[in-house]
Amino acid sequence: MDMDIKRLAKLAKLKFTPEEEEKYAAQMANIVAMVEKLPDLDASGPLIDPDNPMEMRKDEVVSRYTRDELVANAPEVQAGCIVVPKTVSE
Amino acid sequence: MELYRLTATELSRMIHNKEVSSTEVTQSVFARIAEKEPEIEAYVTLNEEAALKKAAEVDEKIAKGDNLPKLAGIPIGIKDNMCTKGLRTTCSSKMLGNFVPPYNATVIEKLNAEDYVCLGKLNMDEFAMGSSTETSFFKKTKNPFDTTRVPGGSSGGSAAAVASGEAVVALGSDTGGSIRQPASFCGVVGLKPTYGSVSRFGLVAFASSLDQIGPFGRSVEDVAMLYSAICGKDPYDTTSIRREYPRFEEQLSSDVKGLRIGIPDVYFGDGVTEEVRTLVMNAAHEYEKMGAVLVPVTLPKPDYALAAYYIIACAEASSNLARFDGVKYGYRTENYKNLEELYENTRSEGFGEEVKRRIMLGTYVLSSGYYDAYYKKAKFTQKLMQETFRKAFTEADVILSPTAPDTAFKFGENSEDQVKMYMNDILTVTVNIVGVPAISVPCGFDSKNMPVGLQLIGDKFSEQRLLNTAYAYEKQIGGFDLSRALAHSADIPQKG
Repeated sequence: MDMDIKRLAKLAKLKFTPEEEEKYAAQMANIVAMVEKLPDLDASGPLIDPDNPMEMRKDEVVSRYTRDELVANAPEVQAGCIVVPKTVSE
Repeated sequence: MELYRLTATELSRMIHNKEVSSTEVTQSVFARIAEKEPEIEAYVTLNEEAALKKAAEVDEKIAKGDNLPKLAGIPIGIKDNMCTKGLRTTCSSKMLGNFVPPYNATVIEKLNAEDYVCLGKLNMDEFAMGSSTETSFFKKTKNPFDTTRVPGGSSGGSAAAVASGEAVVALGSDTGGSIRQPASFCGVVGLKPTYGSVSRFGLVAFASSLDQIGPFGRSVEDVAMLYSAICGKDPYDTTSIRREYPRFEEQLSSDVKGLRIGIPDVYFGDGVTEEVRTLVMNAAHEYEKMGAVLVPVTLPKPDYALAAYYIIACAEASSNLARFDGVKYGYRTENYKNLEELYENTRSEGFGEEVKRRIMLGTYVLSSGYYDAYYKKAKFTQKLMQETFRKAFTEADVILSPTAPDTAFKFGENSEDQVKMYMNDILTVTVNIVGVPAISVPCGFDSKNMPVGLQLIGDKFSEQRLLNTAYAYEKQIGGFDLSRALAHSADIPQKG
């Protein structure tokens, strides 16, 4: 099994030390060996539940929360706005 | 009799008849928490002040002669992955260590409508990923029957609190066995309802197509009563299903004459200990004595389900947990120079090892070139399993198996070997993959004196039949023995 831990970490927005990378590679190899047991199955067709179609609610604007309630959990707030590092270059 | 030992059904009757007040009941449970919590560590957050205030409100309403719902004034514990407005909801993760939800999960709104008393938030495996509650960032919950052993997981706090009298009943969630396996390990009753019967709105998502909230109790009637209060269609969860949901506890019947109980050989095979097998089969023979018929049923090998489960669950988890980025809520790293570093450092510092492992596995199975080999194959396996179960339920009314292959293990015993840890879920994950309901009921103790759980699996929306079947067994054996877990520490005879 080939698993590029560095690339996967990049995709998952995670960072590992070289020691952690080695440990994860070994652990994940074991887990992947377990999940590879799946037999080749022939089960074509749609993967939906025809008995219970999704029922959407009306797309209506309801005022349930105030702005202050919603930003109360943000790590950094200025003037009611969430602060993030600069996202565009000069 | 001390109030904390009583069931919700008994307490409800007593509160409504004004034999006791909700305040007395709530005080008794908090006194029990004060006594046992240093040893058990079931709660992440306690809600004592607000709980007593709520209890006083209920008492006032009752004094005025208001006609209140059944759960009015009953102290209930909530797993810490369900949003409670104004009360910290952590998922037992550093990532949500300071998160105070601005809204209630639908199940909480429903319990509020019943005037329940919220005891606090119960410990769990981080983001519900685990089978022992050991992956919690905050604490290790102990099994009330033996504090050197785990309570199971991921709803370990819920199971341990109910078993030890630190809660009358509790809510948990079950993605691959997270209600049934801890119920089995702690000697209580736990129901994983049909997928779609309980709203997931406000439940922090792990694997959205498998997650389901469900009740824990010390009796089947309590579980039925709590389930009746939380089920139903919710406009805020498109996967919740519209249909008639009765008050299940009002229709409980212990008549199992002619009931066909399916016995799947593959669920009694390798890995299941001899003692567990014997105790579960003894329970099956009790059903025969009551007039039920045991029939063999063919089910797919559970290891296929386990493989499909870990692929689907991790794939969904990796995308669900992408929202934790240190921007809008939750933990934010202090070490960053740009947005990319903010994301990476926040996630690397905020998530624990098991969560990272599952995000990585999910990212792998969904990454380009591997999707067909893993995710698609797992979804096909799921579809075939649903067909096999449909067929099995033409031959049997309920299916009986052990809940877990063995009883509660010691701390650290499985921590280093993930595959061994995952094998704990081998008998429970299929139920989530197929979307059917199942209940775990205590059926005795093994030679280590630890509780063994019996799993009853039903067809979609057959909760009434499942509860009735469980209720019949409870009546037959004269109730479940939680005396050791509910005793005062000083009253338990020391071993040796």
